[in-house]
Parts: sequence; C-alpha cells; structure tokens
Amino acid sequence: MRRVPWIALVALALGLTVRLAGFLAPWAGLLPGCAFKRVTGVACATCGLTRGTLALGQGQWGAALHWYPALAILAAAAPVAILWDLRRAWRGDPYPPLPDSRGLRVGAWLLLAGIWALQAARGI
Amino acid sequence: MGVPFTEAIGGPFRTLFRALVRPSEAFTDPPPTLGRALARMLAVWVPLSLANTGLTVWRALESYDQLRRSAPPTWLEQALGADPDVLRELLRSLPPSPAFGHVWPWLLLVVPLGVLGTWIHDAVWDHAGLWLVGGLKAKRGFRATLVAEAEALRITALGTLIGLLGFLPVFGPLLFLPLLALDGYLWLFRGFALGARHGCGVWRGMAATVVHAALLGTCALGLAVVLLAMLRVGP
Repeated sequence: MRRVPWIALVALALGLTVRLAGFLAPWAGLLPGCAFKRVTGVACATCGLTRGTLALGQGQWGAALHWYPALAILAAAAPVAILWDLRRAWRGDPYPPLPDSRGLRVGAWLLLAGIWALQAARGI
Repeated sequence: MGVPFTEAIGGPFRTLFRALVRPSEAFTDPPPTLGRALARMLAVWVPLSLANTGLTVWRALESYDQLRRSAPPTWLEQALGADPDVLRELLRSLPPSPAFGHVWPWLLLVVPLGVLGTWIHDAVWDHAGLWLVGGLKAKRGFRATLVAEAEALRITALGTLIGLLGFLPVFGPLLFLPLLALDGYLWLFRGFALGARHGCGVWRGMAATVVHAALLGTCALGLAVVLLAMLRVGP
C-alpha cells in the first residue's frame, strides 16, 4: 500500500511560502518590532526568524544563517527529509513512532533553549 | 413520533456544554473511529465557524471601507509614524473592498479547509508537545492524537458559538477579556482528550498544549508575521 508523503508535501508548501515571502523583503521595514524585546531588552526565541525567512526567500543563505541559524540549517536539511519521506511513502512504510528516549527528549528541550540563548547572546 | 426540533438541536449542544464544564467525564467512553470522530467534529464546527468567519469578514470589509472614507485614527497615525496628510491621501487611493456577496461563496471553500487545517495543525504540534513531556509512553501513535483532537475540537467549537457574542454592539467589546479567558480554557481543554486517549494523565495532556503554545509562539510567529505583512501589503 502506497502512503501519502505528508512531510514532503508540507516541506514543499513551506518552501513555496518562504520563496513568496522573499518578495516581501522591500516592505520588511513596515513590520512591527519584537514586543518581547521592546519590553525586556532581550531577544525572544524568534527574533531574527522573520529576517532569516525573508533572506532565505531571496536565496541569501549567508544572511539567513546570520539572522536565524536554526532556520538555515533546517532548510538545508529539508531535501534529506523530503527524500526520506518519499522513499518511506513509496515503500508503503508507516511513519515510525517518536523515540521513547529521555535523552532525546532532554536533548530536544536543550536544543530549543539553545536556539533562544544563541539569539539572545548575539543580540539579534 | 419524531424528535422535537428544539430537542434535536438543543440536545447535542447540551451534551457538548456538559462536556465543557465537566471535562474529566468527557472522554471516559471508548474512543470512536477516526472517521467518525472527524465527521462529528466537522458537523459541529464547520457551521459555527462559517457563521463566525462570515461575521468577521463582513465587519472587516465595513471597517476597511470606513477607513478609506474617513481620516485614519490617531493611533494608526502614531503607529505608522507617517505624515497624516500623506497617510490620508494613501488611504483614499486604496481600491474599494469587494462586496460581501462576492466574498461569501469563497468562505464555503476556505472555512472547511481551515477547519481541517487547524485540526491537523493542532494534532501535529500537540503530538510533538506530548513527546516532549513524555506523554507517548503508551505508544498509541499519531492516530490516537488525531482522534483526541477531533473529539476535543468538536466540544471546543462551542466556544465559537459563544464567541459570536463578541460581535454584539456595545456589549461585545466589554466581553473581550472574558472571551480571551475562555479561549485560554478551550486551548487547555484539548489536554483532557489527549490525556485520556494516550493514557498519560491530564497534566501531561495539558502540558502538551502549553508546549504547543510556547513552540508556536517561538517557532512559527515569524512566519505568521510574514503572512500578516503579505495581508498588509497585498492588493
């Protein structure tokens, strides 16, 4: 039984959205600043994400990496995920369950906190 | 003899309301199949969402036309920091809004798609949140999350009905804060369904919805802002 490659489809849709967002770069100045940063003086976990997305949409990978490293790394890894998902769907394999590992869970939390800390430390 | 109309309509809503005020008893029955859960969710949520979205769009079109015709409010002038005369000229040059009669047929397509999209979106993020808080140990899989979300969203759709009160003149703005608090409760309500269907306890289910909110705020807000910008600069 063939299966639907949901991850691949969502990744492609997101890619298209990011590409379209690139056309909005000239109007980026109209965007409101980060309310969290304005109040606390510290970057929030998403500070730089919009600028990174706009840069990525224009194909400026270096700028995207500067503004939001996690986004650029995710975008670079997306083709691997898409190929894996297409192969899985073609073979009719179901999605594997998320690993029941405390270490991986703690790692995911640390990664999320690390992304935030990185943005805050760089004052993005 | 047929069921009286008030009972046919009021009965299901009474059941949903009871589930909303007694969430711990709402998910004690064996879970329905995915198809049945989905159909029941759509049957309740799509009509209510159509009413809510229709009113929102109608009001948005009215506000847009009013903005075009009159001077921009002071807060908008201050927020944009633009010259008031230039802003006024710019607003006058905006194209008129489409008539609501031309817009509403599109809602019949967009709203059901939005409902389905919200269901899947919530399931994906809540499932990730459940994993992060260790709520997937029973290994019931993503399908259990989809069923739980459909069951919970069918009940929380009642909030859409209550949210219509926000459109009442004078009374509506006064209800802003109570309706916001209700939104918060309805967000957490999904945790009861997740906890029951994954057998991981209500607190983990609710924690998953909180993680979802935090992740949404920290990972997807940027994209949302971009989409907002698209709306702001769109034709």
